[in-house]
Amino acid sequence: MKPHLGWHNQYALYALVAAVSLALAGCGGGSGSSSNPAPSTINNTQAVAVNSGPANNYINGLFTDVTICVPGSTSNCQTISNVLVDTGSEGLRLLSSQVTLSLPPVIDNSSNGLQECVGFADGSYVWGPVVGADIQMAGEKASSVPMQLISSSSTYAVPSQCTSGGGPNENTVQLLGANGILGIGNFQQDCGAACTSASTAPPLYYLCPNSVCGLALVPLNFQLQNPVWMFPQDNNGVLISLPSILAGGAPAASGSLIFGIGTQSDNALGSAQVYTTDASGNFQTTYNNIAYSQSYIDSGSNAFYFLDHATLGIPDCSDAPGFYCPGSTVNYTVTNTGQNGTTGPVSFSIANADSLFNSNGGANWAFNNLGGDTGTSPSTDSVDFGLPFFFGRNVFVGIENETGPNGVVGPYWAY
Amino acid sequence: MKTFLAVFVILLLGCTPGWAVLGEYENSVASDQQHMHAQLREVAGQGYSIKQLALADGRTVKEYVSPAGLVFGISWQGPTMPDLRQVLGSYFAQFQQSNQARRRRGGPLVVETKDFVLVSGGHMRSYHGVAYVPSLLPANVPAEVVQ
Repeated sequence: MKPHLGWHNQYALYALVAAVSLALAGCGGGSGSSSNPAPSTINNTQAVAVNSGPANNYINGLFTDVTICVPGSTSNCQTISNVLVDTGSEGLRLLSSQVTLSLPPVIDNSSNGLQECVGFADGSYVWGPVVGADIQMAGEKASSVPMQLISSSSTYAVPSQCTSGGGPNENTVQLLGANGILGIGNFQQDCGAACTSASTAPPLYYLCPNSVCGLALVPLNFQLQNPVWMFPQDNNGVLISLPSILAGGAPAASGSLIFGIGTQSDNALGSAQVYTTDASGNFQTTYNNIAYSQSYIDSGSNAFYFLDHATLGIPDCSDAPGFYCPGSTVNYTVTNTGQNGTTGPVSFSIANADSLFNSNGGANWAFNNLGGDTGTSPSTDSVDFGLPFFFGRNVFVGIENETGPNGVVGPYWAY
Repeated sequence: MKTFLAVFVILLLGCTPGWAVLGEYENSVASDQQHMHAQLREVAGQGYSIKQLALADGRTVKEYVSPAGLVFGISWQGPTMPDLRQVLGSYFAQFQQSNQARRRRGGPLVVETKDFVLVSGGHMRSYHGVAYVPSLLPANVPAEVVQ
C-alpha cells in the first residue's frame, strides 16, 4: 500500500518547497541498531577476493558477494557476485541490470520514487532509484536497508548536475568493472545531516514529480546506509584482512571482510593503532616535512595515489598514463597522524607499473606496489592509500557514532 | 508498519548555482554570492587575488583572479563535487575529452593538457581539487598558488 498524504505547497524565493513524506513502500523504515550489542558468536566472516572482476578489466579490485532479499522475506532473495568493496563510500549500489528481484522503492507521499546521483572524484557518476532490501553477508543481516539501483536506462532524464563531473555514467558491468559497489566506509549514511536541511543539502538526492527532478531533503534513515551499522551485532565497523603478495603481483588474492571490531575473537584490534579521523573521514599524512591534511584510506582506489612525478622525481608511464614508472622500485616512508594524536610511519614501495602490468604474461591483477599521481605540481592536499595498502595488513574501519575497543568512537581507522 | 517523516523537496527550477568561470572575467562573483547566499571573502595575494565563496552546504570554491580581472584558477572543497560544467566554462569540453584514462580506478582524476590542468580527488563526503590555465597565470605567479 502506498501512502497518499497529499502535497502541501508553499513558494519560496526561487524554489517550490513542498512538505512531503517518504516511506519505504511495503515495509518499515530503516532503523538503527544498538551500539552495545550482546556478545555474538555468529559467523561474521565474509570472503573477499582481489581479481580482475566480472568484466576482466579491473586492476586491484576487491570483490565480494552480497545477498539481498525483499524486505521481510527469507526466500525471495538473490546473491549478487563481484560487488566492489569500497571503504571510500557508504551504501550498497547495484547495477539494475544484475538485480532480478522486485524491491520496494522509497517514495514520498505522492508515490514519487526517491532518486540519487553520486558523482565520484574521478568525474564518473551513478544515477538511479533508492529501494529497500534486506542485506545479508556471512551470518549477518541488516533489515530494510535503503540501497541504490544503478539505472541502465533511466526513467527520468539524468539531472545536468549529475553529469557535471564530465565522466561516464558507470551503469554497465564493463564501465563499472563490477556488478555494484558495497560502500562500508567510516560513516553511517552516504550524506548524513547535510541532506536533511534545505540550507545545507548538496545535490545528491532527487524527487522527480511530473518527470522534473529537483533536490530532495531526506531524513537520515531513508538515505543510503552503510549496512554494517544496521546489523544487530558486529556493527561498529569492519576488519579487512588481505594476505601479503609478491612484489611482482599475483593473478588474484583471497582475504576476509570481518564484521565488528572487538566483538568476537576474530576481530580484536590486537597490535593495531587507532587513528581517528576528522568529520570528513580524513587524517594527516606527512612526507618530507609537508603535511597533507586530507589523506584517506580507500579500498576502492586501486593504487597508492601519492603526490606527483615532479615532487617525487620519478616518471609517469608513457603507455599507462597516471601510473608511475620508476626505473627501479622506490621505497617511501610517510607518517600518519590521527585526530587523536596517534602517529606512526607507513612504508610502501612504488614499482614500475608497465613492468607490473606485463609481468606473468599480463595475467597479474593484484599489486601491492602500484603507484599513481595525484596531480602535477601542485599536488592536492591528500595521499590516497588505495588497495595496495591493504595487502599484508589488518585494516579496521571504525564507523561514526559507534563505540569500538577501549571506548574509541568512530570515525577512525586502525591498522 | 510504515514510517512517515516530513521532508522538504526543493525544485530548483531555473536556479542553477553559478560561479565565476575559469578563463572569464570575475564580474559575476558578486551576483553569484547573492544568488547562492554564499559568504564571500576576499584575500589579496602577491600579484593576484582570491575570492572565496563559502556555500551553506559546506562547499567552498576559491577563484584566483588576475589583476586584469581574469579567473586563471579555481579550487574547490566540500562534501560533494562542484558543478564542473559551471566552473570550467569553455574548458569543460576539453576536460571531458581528456577524461578517458580508465585503468586508474576510484582514485584522483588528473587531466593535463597543454593549456589546462585539473586535479580532482577525495572520497564520499570529502572532495577537493584544482583547475587552472597556465597561459592565464599573471606574471611571476606560479601555478602552486592555486590550492
